[in-house]
Amino acid sequence: MNSSRITVSYVTVVTLLLIILARYTYLQLFSYNELSQKSISNYSSTVANLPVRGTILDRNNVVLANNVVSYAVGILPKDYSKSVDLISQLGKYVNITKLDIKKFKHQLKNVKNYNIVIIKDDLTNVEIANLTSHIYSIPKVMVFARIKRNYPFANIYSHAVGYVGKISTNDLSSHNIQGYLVNDYIGKSGLEKFYESSLRGVMGEKIIQTDAKGNEISLIKNTPGIDGNTIKLTIDNKLQNLASSLLQGKNGAIVAINPQTGGILAFVSQPGYNPNWFIDGINYEGWDELRGNPDKPLLDRVLQSSYPPGSTFKPFLGIAALYLGFRTPTYSMFDPGYFVIPGSTHKFRDNPIPYGLGTVAMEKAIVLSSDTYFYKLAYDMGIDNIDKGVSLFGLGRKTGIDLPDEESGLLPSKRWKERKFKNSLYQHNWLPADSITVGIGQGFNHYTPLQMAYATTIIANEGTVIKPHFLDTIINHKGEVIYSWKNESYTLPIKKANFDFMKKAMQMVVTNGTARQIGYGLEYTMAGKTGTAQVVSTIKNGRQQKFAGKKYKDHSWFIAFAPTKDPKIAISILVENGGFGTQSAAPIARKLFDFYLLGKS
Amino acid sequence: MRKQRIKLLLKKLVYLFKLDVLIIPILLLYLVNIIVQYSATDKNISRLISDIFYLGISFVVMLIIAHLNINHIKILSKPLYIFSIILLILVLTFGIQVNGARRWLNVGVHIQPSEISKLAVPLLLSYYFSLRESVPSGMNFLKAFIILVIPCLLILKQPDLGTAILVFASGFYVMFFAGLSLRVIIVSITLLILSSPIVWHFLQSYQKYRILTLLNPQSDPLGKGYHIIQGIIAIGSGGFLGKGYLQGTQTHLSFIPEKSTDFVITVMAEEFGYLGVFIVLLLYFFIILRGLSIARNSDNIFSKTMAGSIAMSFFTYVVINMGMVSGVLPVVGIPLPLISYGGTATMVIMAEIGILLSIAQSEGYRKKSLLPY
Repeated sequence: MNSSRITVSYVTVVTLLLIILARYTYLQLFSYNELSQKSISNYSSTVANLPVRGTILDRNNVVLANNVVSYAVGILPKDYSKSVDLISQLGKYVNITKLDIKKFKHQLKNVKNYNIVIIKDDLTNVEIANLTSHIYSIPKVMVFARIKRNYPFANIYSHAVGYVGKISTNDLSSHNIQGYLVNDYIGKSGLEKFYESSLRGVMGEKIIQTDAKGNEISLIKNTPGIDGNTIKLTIDNKLQNLASSLLQGKNGAIVAINPQTGGILAFVSQPGYNPNWFIDGINYEGWDELRGNPDKPLLDRVLQSSYPPGSTFKPFLGIAALYLGFRTPTYSMFDPGYFVIPGSTHKFRDNPIPYGLGTVAMEKAIVLSSDTYFYKLAYDMGIDNIDKGVSLFGLGRKTGIDLPDEESGLLPSKRWKERKFKNSLYQHNWLPADSITVGIGQGFNHYTPLQMAYATTIIANEGTVIKPHFLDTIINHKGEVIYSWKNESYTLPIKKANFDFMKKAMQMVVTNGTARQIGYGLEYTMAGKTGTAQVVSTIKNGRQQKFAGKKYKDHSWFIAFAPTKDPKIAISILVENGGFGTQSAAPIARKLFDFYLLGKS
Repeated sequence: MRKQRIKLLLKKLVYLFKLDVLIIPILLLYLVNIIVQYSATDKNISRLISDIFYLGISFVVMLIIAHLNINHIKILSKPLYIFSIILLILVLTFGIQVNGARRWLNVGVHIQPSEISKLAVPLLLSYYFSLRESVPSGMNFLKAFIILVIPCLLILKQPDLGTAILVFASGFYVMFFAGLSLRVIIVSITLLILSSPIVWHFLQSYQKYRILTLLNPQSDPLGKGYHIIQGIIAIGSGGFLGKGYLQGTQTHLSFIPEKSTDFVITVMAEEFGYLGVFIVLLLYFFIILRGLSIARNSDNIFSKTMAGSIAMSFFTYVVINMGMVSGVLPVVGIPLPLISYGGTATMVIMAEIGILLSIAQSEGYRKKSLLPY
């Protein structure tokens, strides 16, 4: 035997041991960072310390949105098998409706494996007792408690308070949304959305050390969550409920504002919907029903829908004319029941007053709502001056209220019309006739009920402008007030005398004018203006047509404030297809004012 | 007077403990074993005591064998081989079944007959070649191959691929040092590679699976790949100096499977880092070098082939274990010599060390100095 075999062995040993050493060098020195991270994530698991969402209160601390413990029975999708008739087994102990089954089946299809799918939510105490004593006989289902958002007044605050819902994957991946978990809740609409960051609180985290089986070994770090802030509103729950009931069965909007603070007192859009349905995702049928409903319950009529203001536009145009010097209170004209543009033959008729009022000055024109007077006024002013004056009242601009998705309405102008009809068959030059229809609140202009209420507060305040808002104070989890709303107000450059004149005229609307039937037995002073917005516009159809049926009935408007000296409440009411403002909108205002100012119901 | 007495005592000690330099890395590995096992068994004192007990017994076995004359050992080879074959047959019928494999015999204590083959096979082969004075013929190698293959097949039947590989390797090394033609070796290896699809066909499905998961551990991160991945994480997260003694999270939070046996190096790597692994590897390197040096300095074929086989087998254990745990070789279930927990395996290795020492003391050994290399 030669010793070369020993040499071969030496070489083999050294080579292979170096390879092994190289492998450990690679793992321990070059892959250290990566593998060290893996080791840490192996044994540490992070659990979120979820904050409790803040509550929403009315001005008297009535709870409008809070959190309740809700018991539900559910199952993991992986544990569900069609062969077992789970529903009928459970049905012996809990009341499962057809809607529950639909919801369950829908969720089962859409939920990932490790999320519990709820079969029946909001179990009653009896159901919980029954279930817990029989649960062993129904495999894999579990009863669990969770904290759930709750809206005690359901439909009353659908559009104001809004609702929370499951965060979407889009939201989760967006950069400005942080500190949320998959399946977390986020404000989706209304105040819940606007004040999300304040209501949400701060998520904490708990890092625990676990062994390979996931057993907790020790606590590494625990940062508690900070509960969300309480939002206290200026809204008056009783007034809101009354307003909601007065509009019951109708489509429309009511918004009441305290003119002295800008605080919203009532905010109703009818029909509403139950925000509680949205928390865990509404099922498709329910969603379709809401969306397909011709009454559009999802639409916030107060600030997302705008309407021609009708005659409620007249007080604002009137003040604009006085301010810009186109009229004096004493200026009068003869009203034959129609207006003709000099040099033409077309008659702009005053439909409610076909034979005219004879000699008319501004006060009479407001009190009895003369169209002829305002036709001529609008013609004399021209759209540029109308815009200049009326825009001072915020019409055609967002009010900046603390709610998302506000509509800006439209105060038309020459430039607007040019752009709008540039590529259409319509005439895109501004015509005198366009100004004339705008003058009585018809034609191109349309505003949200919120804008009309806001503009009304400016008359009530005699020119002082205060932004409307819901928020009164923000209170943190320790009960400390961390923010109080600060009014930013400014005063319009319009003489007080002009406001005094218009307030007097509007007071006479209630005492002697178009709204006089609500003025009987009034125990306080009240100023208002009725309005009727034509649903079928002459523009759309080329010429005015008469349609039968409720759908084509005109919208009814009423704006008002009371008392006329130092007003405490200003309101705008719109009733869709309500006919003349006097008929359906104005009586609601009287009842609300009686309640708010006198406590009568 | 006193000086003389001390000298005499020293001489006696040298004689008693065969004070070869080999003892130093062995004792150091014993120390490593005790330190690591304390951690790997999660400070289980009773398991540690039985570990130390086995280490002690093994050391005594080594000393006894080291004091035997190598020629007596040589004579024992034939009966030991026959005894091991009988045990292997017995284990197939009377063995205790664990996870579908029959590897252990219960004779009061649990013994693993295949471990005895690790010693018996190279002994008989060395003995066989020592009977031939001239260069062994092809026929001799064929006969040797048959002697080798019988126990290997019996072990494969258990099934225990890891031990079968090691037994085969120990016999192969004897043939290698006896002068098996390099051409034959190369042709055999080529044939083995070419026939691997056929071998694949005969592999147990769990063995196939292990090879597949080795190729891509991430393919099955919760199944078999889990062992490999967790082992690699333990090794890598140890870094240069380790997480500290008893501080390994992978070790103590049960992420490492078989941490006191096959995967024990991951505990070492996690808690003592690259430095710990390097020291262990250095100790192994000394033992292997010393073994090869004893082979080189022996004057007869039996001693040369036996010493060479022992050194190279020891080397093979180290490479396969450390390779499989770090994910470069398939997980075949081979313990890490002298560090893994386990009585029989340690006993056999120490017996082999004893044979090495006996060879180093034999009459024909060229260098009887304390300086080994």
